[in-house]
Amino acid sequence: MPPPPYVCLERVAKRFGTGPEVLSDIDAEIGLGEFVSFIGPSGCGKSTLLRLLAGLIEPTSGDIAIEGRKAAYTSAKAFFVFQEPNLLPWRRVAANVELPLMLRGDERADRKLRAQKMLDLVGLGEAADKFPWQLSGGMKMRVSIARALSVAPRILLLDEPFGALDEMTRDRLNEDLLAIRQRDPFTAFFVTHSVAEAVFLSTRVIVLSANPGRVAATIEVPFVYPRTAALRETPEFLEKLGVTSRALRAASVAEAPAS
Amino acid sequence: MKRASPWVMPLIGGVMLVALWYAVIGIFGFKSYVLPTPISILAAAVHERQALLAGALITGEGALLGFLAAVAGGFLLALIVALAAPLKQAFYPYILVFQMTPVIILAPVFVLWWGQGVPSIVAITFTICFFPIVANTTMGMISTDRNLRELFVLCRATRLQEIRFLRVPAAMPYFLIGMKIAGTLAPIGAITGDFLTGTTQNGLGGLGFMTIAYFSQLKIPELFATGMVACLLGFLFVGGVNLLHWFMLHRWHDSQRRNE
Repeated sequence: MPPPPYVCLERVAKRFGTGPEVLSDIDAEIGLGEFVSFIGPSGCGKSTLLRLLAGLIEPTSGDIAIEGRKAAYTSAKAFFVFQEPNLLPWRRVAANVELPLMLRGDERADRKLRAQKMLDLVGLGEAADKFPWQLSGGMKMRVSIARALSVAPRILLLDEPFGALDEMTRDRLNEDLLAIRQRDPFTAFFVTHSVAEAVFLSTRVIVLSANPGRVAATIEVPFVYPRTAALRETPEFLEKLGVTSRALRAASVAEAPAS
Repeated sequence: MKRASPWVMPLIGGVMLVALWYAVIGIFGFKSYVLPTPISILAAAVHERQALLAGALITGEGALLGFLAAVAGGFLLALIVALAAPLKQAFYPYILVFQMTPVIILAPVFVLWWGQGVPSIVAITFTICFFPIVANTTMGMISTDRNLRELFVLCRATRLQEIRFLRVPAAMPYFLIGMKIAGTLAPIGAITGDFLTGTTQNGLGGLGFMTIAYFSQLKIPELFATGMVACLLGFLFVGGVNLLHWFMLHRWHDSQRRNE
């Protein structure tokens, strides 16, 4: 018998106020430790889906269950990496990374240690004493990831975190993210516009179509972890890339007549 | 082109203004009780230095105490308002009513309650300084970035943690703007207060009362000298607040940084 799903979305729909449906009829069952990417044309509700999973907003109808409980109740186990770095400008980098730990009442010495470790992990060990304005956009994003990882979340929700980074940095952070996950496993939900990124990271890519957002295709990515940079050059990877790109194109074309 | 010292242009401007001043007196033949010359004002300031210093101290004391009370009270009220939206809805209109009531009308009431002199001056200064601090700080506390608030929700921060680690620091620039406005108003408020409630206790009032005295004696150069001292007092206040502003924000806030 297969293990019960860790995260379960059942006929989830969301509309804001009296507006049109942003998400409609989303069904998905995600196993513990999976890495799921959402990809789709803009306006397909990818970010909304992530915020639903974080318990930041409630679905209009349908259910989201994590470990069999409503998403909002388990948000302690999840952490969010926002589209923007979202750092507190008056706190130094290390203090920003420590923030979630401080808010939950960890000892000062423990959280200092943890923050430094997380900063080392994202390659910003030297920047601990800087203020956010002294960092580049990419560096700020890394601080934001270090902050999310500091609480050792069971579920990590990432909303296009690497969208603003150059490709080399993005690739490296992709590899780093998988390396971290190898050591300290978490279930990940990842929103991106990059097919290559989605395929490289994920166990499963969910392609959404827009207006309203629906699941257009689900693509299993069976490559074993640990995945390394070498994976990107294999024919199997390139083939998966092609399949995903076609699915994304189909999902985008399907909604074109509406516009 | 080599950049001139920042003092050069203001100095040239000042010399030109003084020249214009003398020219006006020369052309129109104003008597010194209509428009005294700058030199006679300076002479009056030197001559009356003890009275002016004593007056400035009284006014300064009233301004400082009223200002500090307004800063503390205003911040506290903004904090309460940020903590509880219903309280804001319930009482904010009445703060406005209090603010809209002219000081001229409140002044006699204050004298009735606290008598003439410093306590009433403090009360009037407080009345004038209070509102800009409340309004600005409240604005700062309720306009925190939505994304940052979500971050705190995700961290399951308590309301008190959100206030302490997010709302208050985020409101600091607004609070300091409120303080800047209040800082420019405080000496004016104190002089107005003194003007309205001043006393001749010990033969001396504050700068506000001295203007009444000098005017009634037609000591116009002395009157101008009083204005000069009041002006200096104002600069002292604004300078102090600016210093505080810099101290609080220079490490992180955009307003305090040069573009690199």
